[in-house]
Amino acid sequence: MNLLEITNQTWITVGIVAGIFAGTALLIGILILVVGKVFKVNVDEKITKILNNLAGANCGGCGCSGCSGFASKLANGGAELSDCHVTSPEKKAEIAKLLGIELKDEEPTVAVVHCNAGNQNCEDKFEYKGNPTCASNASLLGGNKACSYACLGCGDCKAVCPENAIEVTDRLAKVDPDRCISCGACITACPKDIIDRIPASAPIYVACSSKCKGKDVMNVCKVGCIACGICAKVCPHGAITMQDNLPVIDYTKCTGCLTCVEKCPRHIIISRKVIAEETPAETA
Amino acid sequence: MGTFIAIVLAAVLTNNFITAKTYGICPFLGVSKKTSSAAGMGIAVTLVMVLATLVTYPIYTYVMIPLKIEFLEIIFFIFIIASLVQMLEKIIQKVSPTLYGAMGIYLPLITTNCAVLGVTELVIGDMSKIIGEAATMNIGWAVLYALFAGVGFTLVMIIMSGMREKLNYYKMPKALSGFPIAMVTACFICMAFMVFSYISL
Repeated sequence: MNLLEITNQTWITVGIVAGIFAGTALLIGILILVVGKVFKVNVDEKITKILNNLAGANCGGCGCSGCSGFASKLANGGAELSDCHVTSPEKKAEIAKLLGIELKDEEPTVAVVHCNAGNQNCEDKFEYKGNPTCASNASLLGGNKACSYACLGCGDCKAVCPENAIEVTDRLAKVDPDRCISCGACITACPKDIIDRIPASAPIYVACSSKCKGKDVMNVCKVGCIACGICAKVCPHGAITMQDNLPVIDYTKCTGCLTCVEKCPRHIIISRKVIAEETPAETA
Repeated sequence: MGTFIAIVLAAVLTNNFITAKTYGICPFLGVSKKTSSAAGMGIAVTLVMVLATLVTYPIYTYVMIPLKIEFLEIIFFIFIIASLVQMLEKIIQKVSPTLYGAMGIYLPLITTNCAVLGVTELVIGDMSKIIGEAATMNIGWAVLYALFAGVGFTLVMIIMSGMREKLNYYKMPKALSGFPIAMVTACFICMAFMVFSYISL
């Protein structure tokens, strides 16, 4: 059978071709509709609502594959709301209402690099000419910095930061607290484990991670903590304790008097207020 | 047995879809940054190729040839493959959510991908377009060719993604880093595969 030889007229031939397509389209359309009905997936409305309230950064800081994975885990009870550091407290309250749980009060946090060495203050152990990543640098004798707790400055944290909040200057990573969403990607990426979260309102932080004794630190770094304990002694509020040759700050007790910042002989307790005072609204 | 080896070699090595025929370049350059996603893409393309051939070959042979509307093949195949992928996506989502999570995002991307359409176009008629001999074609050979065309596609995808992953570790001139070096890499892979074209079937 030859469909196109039914008539000699061109426009009827065109009509037949168009008809073939219309028929096929109708058939396929019905087929897709039937398949769609038969294989309908009931999407949980709760998950969609939770997803709408999440920040949508898809940073992976919670350990799930994106925000949608986190939303479905939340709905099944497989994850805690506090695993997400990006979503604002108001939105978290909405999600808590959806889940029927009570929201614990949390303060927003930011990531800081607990090192202040850089090239000037801490010299290289040897010349490193390998892959320009912290991970491969750290795999050789713990990196080529003289201090084994120092920031290697190859920028693994910068590479994973979804918000471009990290700058590496002079082989020292710095986090911009205004841009940081505290997703934790850099904390996971850092092979030296020197990035950690502190409360966003914290007035001070310790810019050293060395657990070595004072003399060893003196030998390798000009600004490392020598564990003299002066900060713990001078703090009028008892917010600082010495642990593993490092000061540990209890941010619930710290009032931001900055006595420790003044008295530290190595200037490694760094005031974050300087950043805050630049904005006129903040008067401490 | 001779035909079997000829089809497999032609599909995977001598007339590889990416390196010799330059079909499916968009996923080749676009989804080859990570080996895991490249492998997922390759498997998705292979699956769609086999299914598309399974559907279009009988339709061409038993519907379009008797009705003498062979000249509509391209537009008809696009119709059929596009709707097939739509249905496949829905079925996978229902039957295996895990598979959907791993492969689901690639399926809409390869709706009538040129490599998929290429397979369905090459297997109709006789075998001259595949192995250079005018042997008779049947649905078994057609599906076999589609399967191994997908295997060849996956092979090149994985080679490419492996090389791009390694390239990340080297310092690159600024003008070359990123996409330009991917093009150079693609060029070298294609040249390497040219060696296989000297295999006489």
